[in-house]
Amino acid sequence: MEAEIKEKIVSMEKPHMEAPPDWQPVIMGILCNWCSYAGSDLTGTSRIQYPPNIRIIRVPCSSRVDPWFIIKSLQTIADGVLISGCHPGDCHYISGNYYARRRFLVTKKLLNFVGFHENRVQFSWVSAAEGAKFAKVVTKVTEDIRKLGPLHLYKKENS
Amino acid sequence: MDYTKQIQDIAGRLFSEGKIDIFIGYRNTGFDENQVPVLIHQYKDVDQLLFTDKSVFNLANYLKYEHTRNKRVGLIVKGCDSRALNLMLTESQVKRENLYIIGIACEGVVNETGEKAQNCVECMMPDAVVYDELLGSATGKREYQVNADIRELDEKTLTDRVEYFEEIFENCIRCNACRHSCPLCYCAKCCIDQETATLFHGANTTSSAFHALMTWSLHLAGRCVDCRNCEKACPIHLPLHLLHKLNEKVIYENFQENLAGMTEGDRGAFYKYSLSDPDDFIL
Repeated sequence: MEAEIKEKIVSMEKPHMEAPPDWQPVIMGILCNWCSYAGSDLTGTSRIQYPPNIRIIRVPCSSRVDPWFIIKSLQTIADGVLISGCHPGDCHYISGNYYARRRFLVTKKLLNFVGFHENRVQFSWVSAAEGAKFAKVVTKVTEDIRKLGPLHLYKKENS
Repeated sequence: MDYTKQIQDIAGRLFSEGKIDIFIGYRNTGFDENQVPVLIHQYKDVDQLLFTDKSVFNLANYLKYEHTRNKRVGLIVKGCDSRALNLMLTESQVKRENLYIIGIACEGVVNETGEKAQNCVECMMPDAVVYDELLGSATGKREYQVNADIRELDEKTLTDRVEYFEEIFENCIRCNACRHSCPLCYCAKCCIDQETATLFHGANTTSSAFHALMTWSLHLAGRCVDCRNCEKACPIHLPLHLLHKLNEKVIYENFQENLAGMTEGDRGAFYKYSLSDPDDFIL
């Protein structure tokens, strides 16, 4: 009988910390109501498979996402964050995603600067018609986070 | 840089003409060389006032509190302070007609060891941009240069940076002096207070410090004027400028925006957008 040798997963930021054998990544998905949330709905109704690791929060617009939300997510349950909004030019509120785009870049760079791997926080544009793209994005982000291992940085003590 | 005489003259004139109720300036601590901010209410106290290269604090900060609100105030602003004041005017925190502003064409202040402070060496706009009266001769804008500490940290590996910043966040005692000393942190209720002390888990933890400092610096991104009042107020001398300078660098490199508050009405990089902003990090 050949036992399957599993590769041990360690945390990217803290290489001395190992993940438990049954560890599954948790991804916080913050989706815009008008495009990405409808897109994820289409993924479900089209019966396209995607990893169940994502926990979805609906927000009115991607510019509703305060950098604070990302920090809070990373400090509680999430190992990674995916934020998704409308394509540039498609925003329901005309220009919300342009403002959000600037904020996302700075947030991503600052988190990377203090020690989070750049793949921990990811952004995407998914429209309401792109059910297949949503499944692809979630699969990619889940695989990225799985490679990085569990997040041990600055977790809240009682969570 | 010594404008003590001129400032005493101006403050005396303003009080005798009845133009102001309060004058915010600097005075000696009385026991060492350093200076502290002082609020003067009457003509007879005017001779306390000072201005030298040890006048480090940002006096615009005192406009956000109750005792100067709706009063006629005279104050001294250096280059960085005047941009903070401009942002406060833009964000409707103070009224211009209530203020009499003495602008300084600043030559740089000193740090604790007596050398020229780092933010003054790298200063891009030393002259006051909003004033009723300007002391000194204006020298104009300077070139942007990347902060030396940021350049050094950028070369380190990710795990090294994790260790470096964990020590910083671990040492923070969550006294919130950085927030109180910042002229642009004026919200009556602050969102970082929800991580405040409770009986079962104290506020003074690494995770709550991370939460507070990161949220604070991201809410100031694109608005920070690099006066370093936060660093001067910090009781354990944390290098808080690192977070602000990194934001400044990212904003300058990607959106070509810097120097928030140069003109009244300019609200900083996060209140505008361009169709050609970088998009390559988005899936």
